Amino acid sequence: MTSSKLTSFIRAHGLRLLPATLAAVLTLAAAAAPRKPADDAEVLERLPSRAGDASSRELAALRAAMAAAADDPAPAGRLAQRYFALAMARGDPRYVGYAEAVIARFSEPLPAELLSIRGMLRQYRHGFAAALADFAAALALDPQLAQAHAWRAAIFLVQADYEAANKECAALQVLGKTVLHGSCSGLTQAYSGQLDAGYRSLQEALASSRDPDNRLWLLTRLGEVAAWRGQPALAETHYREALGIGRDDGYLLAAWSDFLLDNGRPAEVLADLAGWESSDTLLLRLAEAAALLNAPDAARLAQALDDRFAAARQRGDTTHRAEEARHALHLRRDPKTALRLAADNYAVQREPRDARILLEAAIAAGDPAGAKPARDWLRDSGFEDQRLRALGEESALAAPASASSAEARR
Amino acid sequence: MNGRRYRLCLLLFILSLVSLPVLAHKASDSYLVLDVTGSQVSGQWDIALRDIDFALGLDLDGNGEITWGELRARHADIDAWALDSLTLQRGGPCSLRVADHLVDTHTDGAYAVLQLAGECPRSEGELRLGYRLLFELDALHRGLLRLTFDGTTHSAVLAPERAEQRFLAGQTSRLAQFGQYLVEGIWHIWIGFDHILFLLALLLPAVLVHQNGRWRGVARFRDALHEVLWVVTAFTVAHSITLSLAALGLVQLPSRLVESAIAASVVLAAANNLKPLVEGRRWLVAFAFGLIHGFGFASVLAELGLPQEALVLSLLGFNLGVEVGQLAIVALFLPLAYALRNTTFYRRGVFIGGSLATLAIAMIWLLERAFDLKLIGS
Repeated sequence: MTSSKLTSFIRAHGLRLLPATLAAVLTLAAAAAPRKPADDAEVLERLPSRAGDASSRELAALRAAMAAAADDPAPAGRLAQRYFALAMARGDPRYVGYAEAVIARFSEPLPAELLSIRGMLRQYRHGFAAALADFAAALALDPQLAQAHAWRAAIFLVQADYEAANKECAALQVLGKTVLHGSCSGLTQAYSGQLDAGYRSLQEALASSRDPDNRLWLLTRLGEVAAWRGQPALAETHYREALGIGRDDGYLLAAWSDFLLDNGRPAEVLADLAGWESSDTLLLRLAEAAALLNAPDAARLAQALDDRFAAARQRGDTTHRAEEARHALHLRRDPKTALRLAADNYAVQREPRDARILLEAAIAAGDPAGAKPARDWLRDSGFEDQRLRALGEESALAAPASASSAEARR
Repeated sequence: MNGRRYRLCLLLFILSLVSLPVLAHKASDSYLVLDVTGSQVSGQWDIALRDIDFALGLDLDGNGEITWGELRARHADIDAWALDSLTLQRGGPCSLRVADHLVDTHTDGAYAVLQLAGECPRSEGELRLGYRLLFELDALHRGLLRLTFDGTTHSAVLAPERAEQRFLAGQTSRLAQFGQYLVEGIWHIWIGFDHILFLLALLLPAVLVHQNGRWRGVARFRDALHEVLWVVTAFTVAHSITLSLAALGLVQLPSRLVESAIAASVVLAAANNLKPLVEGRRWLVAFAFGLIHGFGFASVLAELGLPQEALVLSLLGFNLGVEVGQLAIVALFLPLAYALRNTTFYRRGVFIGGSLATLAIAMIWLLERAFDLKLIGS
């Protein structure tokens, strides 16, 4: 109902006799109302970077290079890559949209380098089939394109297709990409029941890598594998070394906070993620830590997440269903919704963390059948993390009576 | 060692953010609310300052902050840029202009609010909308549209591959329209305090019987339920009749008369509780005054506007909504009143006290409405 209809209704029906109700309605309207600032100096918005800083200068130079050679895919590719890197580092999806728009300026058929970038952008949005097609087309044009093999492997790992991932790893080896091959096969081994071998492969790759971005990625993955092997002290060493590289990386911070949460150290999550509320994935970890500590802003953080998920739903975005499921289970204590979201997510993404939230939600909801896909994966992959295997067994027995045991775990 | 350096970075990062709340990162959306009624267009368009800055450059002094002054200086450019990327057609291109500039905040930061006004060449036929804001710069940008088109609400997500949308007049699903009016009906009984008070005044004695000049509680729940059913049914039948007659334009009464009569009905119902004149036949009172209340509902419905193409269905939806709202009140009231019927609190406080208060309020309404006065409130 529009506000004018409401006010005319109130006028017609003598509701002015109930000023409290009226005041409440008006306050609600005022909170959401657009306003006109009185002061020209009022700061309305702070931009992610200012015009003069290094990152802005670099972007400006890349944009100028692209404008100077509008038909040349090389400078456009560099700008799109830079945008994508910013999206990953800051967890800011606007940069993904900028990168896609840069690629969209070129007409089909795209050259190999742009196909490969478009594949990256599509996988970010969970358009895995389209992304795989882009990488395949890129490799058909340029069989030397190691990046495309690495991304295909990453997608196959997300889809829990370890045979296909192994083929991509082998292709990287043939191309002589030692570090990429070690990363690829190390992770594939770890996901498919060979944690020890996977750990060794990742470590070998680390030993021969000097690039800080690669090292950060490898150390993060080593941290995860060590934690799955039940070696928290070793995991912490790896995570700390990765953090010490001093580069913003959303994935690293999320993995590190999950590690802290699993080890009963939520206070450190609050300290280490302070200022990272802008990223949805990190806000989730902050909100979980705050809830565990009964921190004063726990309710505010949980509400902020609600708002974010609502805003994402409005535009039809479903890429954060795994986080939304965790939010529903751990913060909103709504196992039914959590299970639905986790199951929807598991239909698209099947990494260990996706299996875990599905198992936890099914246990809390007392619905053994709901967790069957994750149990099947545990059986087929032979994934060795004891925590996950125990959850798998518990989920098979889950009955409505044991509804709170999954929550008690955290 | 490494860990500490990392914390130092974070600390600097936090320090750089202290003066503004930390806002979310999300993909770019604009919020477009449009109302097209006949040939008239009005609306509101919220566009993120960050997006405007990316497209046009707002941060004139390059300090990374956008002030109201910097935004204000570029209003003309922003209007031209935004209106160039939005087209409406109804019998030809509609004119669009920005009537006012405001600001607002969404989950991911500050937004410029453009208040839109315009006019289309024709007042009937389909509406076409074309949207291409930011698509050239940000392929993930979406326009979140909420359109009220001749009284019917549509929503759409406008994307590069769905940038053109057509809306046919009177084409929403009948079910959705029915639901919409049902909700309006519920809402109106809930905020229509004169109707609620009238109903409650009639219901208050339902759990009591008047014997030898004294009130006492009924013996069985069935007795109370029986009474309530008669009263509510009579009220419903009566106001459904007049609501339909008035909504279909068959009978019209001056609104001042209707509103005054409604107030008088509340006065009489409350007075009857204090000094019973009509007993046992309360359903007749409910029926008689229900006819008056129906005209009151009709004036509300007239303001909402009934879509001509689904007149009867919407009327039915609204009426059913009123009944649902009424039943909710009864469902809440009856068990409570029945449980308390033998207490002094109910008989003195709720029944007598409540009737007195109702009488007083309704008297004021009556005076206000009959003589067009303002006695209470702003």
